[in-house]
Amino acid sequence: MTTLDDTTTNADRSVATTRTFPASVGLMKRSVVNITRLPSAFLPSVLMPIFQAIAFSGTFFAITQIPGFPTDRSINWFLPLGVVMGAGFAGIGIGFTTIRDLEGGFYDRLRLTPAPRMSLVTGPLLAALARAALVTTIVFIVGTLFGARLTHGPLGLIPLYVAALGISAIGTGWGLGLAYIFRDMRAAAIMQLTFFLVIFLTEAQTPLFIMQGWLENVARINPFNSVIRLSRLGFVDPPMTWGNTWGGLLTIAVFTALMLLFARRGLARLSDV
Amino acid sequence: MTLTAATPTSRTRPELHQSTVAQTLALSKRSILSLWRQPALVVPSLIFPLFFAALGTSSFSRATTAVPGFPAVDSYLDFALAGSVVQGILFGSTVGATALAVDIENGFFDRLLSSPSTRSGIIVGRMAGGMVYGCFQTVFFIVVLLPFGLSIKGGVAGVLTMAVGGTILALAVGALMSAMAIKTGSSEAVQGAFPLLFIAMFFSSAFFPKETMSGMYKTLAYINPISYLVEGFRDLTINGFSASAVVRAVVIPAILAFLAVGLALWALKSRLGAR
Repeated sequence: MTTLDDTTTNADRSVATTRTFPASVGLMKRSVVNITRLPSAFLPSVLMPIFQAIAFSGTFFAITQIPGFPTDRSINWFLPLGVVMGAGFAGIGIGFTTIRDLEGGFYDRLRLTPAPRMSLVTGPLLAALARAALVTTIVFIVGTLFGARLTHGPLGLIPLYVAALGISAIGTGWGLGLAYIFRDMRAAAIMQLTFFLVIFLTEAQTPLFIMQGWLENVARINPFNSVIRLSRLGFVDPPMTWGNTWGGLLTIAVFTALMLLFARRGLARLSDV
Repeated sequence: MTLTAATPTSRTRPELHQSTVAQTLALSKRSILSLWRQPALVVPSLIFPLFFAALGTSSFSRATTAVPGFPAVDSYLDFALAGSVVQGILFGSTVGATALAVDIENGFFDRLLSSPSTRSGIIVGRMAGGMVYGCFQTVFFIVVLLPFGLSIKGGVAGVLTMAVGGTILALAVGALMSAMAIKTGSSEAVQGAFPLLFIAMFFSSAFFPKETMSGMYKTLAYINPISYLVEGFRDLTINGFSASAVVRAVVIPAILAFLAVGLALWALKSRLGAR
């Protein structure tokens, strides 16, 4: 008869009493290590936002000449969009990884470990946040080389990082929830398409006052418009005020909570299968 | 008994001696049917360009009057049509090349090579589906956008020219990607090369006039053949039918197609030579 108290080694005991946070950190480390072991899977999530920021700012350079445009540097306008897209895809990329793990059977082994269930959500969340921070930093550095400037000093980086980490958390919850429901690559298409739509149906390309027709109406009621606006606070001419900030923070808080709940419920349903 | 092998029946003999055209048509039919039977592969190339056209029209309509250097247009939608057509064809034509790579991966391509069909028939036949689809896409985008205010100054002749240009462009892109498929024998490599086309399109005047760009973007747009091709389509839409527009909309894709088919045949030759 083996009991924890008498014969189990220290290593066994630490596994048996694993708590949510250490287990989450372990899962995060696995994901971060994968960046160096499988760079081909991570590189697109960095290259895509860099390309987007550079290509959009070059192609649509002239829109800054429209009277009233909030910046005279097109890269200042499009860099935060690239960051938000990259961070969001860092989040839903966790959903892709989870689908692969589910299909390959690795997830079953994870569920058999004594790690708390919640760590299967918080671990990937920490991983997504780490990836999003990395993507944001790289895109910002490259964007700076291409002429992006913080119009209100280094403080302007705070809303950019908050928006990036927030959208990444939302993307993680959405990606995990869908992965748990569909358990195959059908979920990947839904994750990408919905995220793409939600972000582009905002001020992604031009400010509201320049838009005409249906998009203006949609962007006005799209809560993610305030997240895009938050990400740009440090890069546009209008001052950084609480009035421009709280909407984005509220959207991030509400949608992060909802999406993580969605993921947790999906995981619970997965355990019932 | 080996009678069948020694004396082929009259039913099989004509098939063995079919002309290049007949062989190409047979392979084309297979390629077209495969696209028809897998709508999930091609539908995104119809939806996304339309979505971007709608998005751009709402986002950039004011730019058509407020940005110096923007050509005179009735609406941004008229301006955007050419970019949407080219974008759709770039998306759609990759599907045929990916299917070719899958044929190589699963061994069907080797069976084709061991058959008495011509090499060019195998390549062009595989791309025929993409060509038909390219023509369809061009007409589809025009028909869908007409009720939303699109006006084609070039009239019916302009639409027909665009359809021909779209068909040839689909051949050019399909052949280019097929060269990649034959060279690598990997559908993943073909998919992986697709972003290069996307980048090439973004650094052109597909979405905004090159006259309004600055610095290296402007230089890239000026040396990018996609700019001139798109502007041919655009001229037919916003200025009317002209020889200059026809040349750019048809001749540039034709030159690209000639080069790309040559590249694909060269890739095939080197693949066969490597064995």
